[in-house]
Amino acid sequence: MSDNMASTHRLEEEYTSVTLTHDVLNPLSMMTEVKSPKAGAIVLFAGRLFNHLQSRHDLRLPGTTRDSFDGKPVTHLVYTSYPPRALQTMLSIARSVKEKHSLTAISMVHRLGVVPIGEESILIAVSAPHRQAAWKGGEEALEECKEKVEVWKLEEFGGNEGGVWRANRDGATGVRVDDRIP
Amino acid sequence: MPAKPPPNHFRLLYFASAASFARKSSDTFPAPLPLAELFGVLEKRYPGMTKAVLNSCAVTVNLDYVDVEEDGGKEKAGVVINAEDEVAIIPPVSSG
Repeated sequence: MSDNMASTHRLEEEYTSVTLTHDVLNPLSMMTEVKSPKAGAIVLFAGRLFNHLQSRHDLRLPGTTRDSFDGKPVTHLVYTSYPPRALQTMLSIARSVKEKHSLTAISMVHRLGVVPIGEESILIAVSAPHRQAAWKGGEEALEECKEKVEVWKLEEFGGNEGGVWRANRDGATGVRVDDRIP
Repeated sequence: MPAKPPPNHFRLLYFASAASFARKSSDTFPAPLPLAELFGVLEKRYPGMTKAVLNSCAVTVNLDYVDVEEDGGKEKAGVVINAEDEVAIIPPVSSG
């Protein structure tokens, strides 16, 4: 895909950092990044990959292309990105959430490349003088990320099934890798 | 990212479903090209791409989002893609 293979891309300014990396994510280092004597609360969100395809199926939620893959477990996911564009979007989200909730600091990291089920794909750490602001700011940062950051998730299935590009936006169907011209 | 495009061309980057459909991560096309003609040029090279992929995609030129649809029927001069611009097809995101 179009990632250049440099393993980490990062933008930072005072009390704010955004990162895309092919490396395993480290929750503790994210907390350390936002620590401050001024902050009485740190909220850390860790988004982990689980077999949500199977779970969605079990819950019978209306979905996109899931039915074509009944019972086939996702083995791993592959994230690709447009790093310079995605970092700008992440930085703009971080700045606006930080200002809106008067956060002390905010750090966001998204993993790229192959991510096995059970590992983290995104971490968001925020610190604030009080916990309410930290909770709200962290939640809003995550929602904004899922809506806007230029990262794409390919769900891979075992065998010769290829994969499906997911879309977070409601109503946008996943696109199978095989749905293309011969 | 790939090397510079040839003279008088711009590079178009594909991601996710767009890259799967094109079976590559980028192309080069002759510049200048009015933005409003971009999807038409792509449909010609990759028949079926508009319906399967492009209709749900956004476009950036040099990292800034541009409005492909607004540019369509307007009299006023729309955005023009110039040589050496980096243009990208941005499918619906699935971060997180």
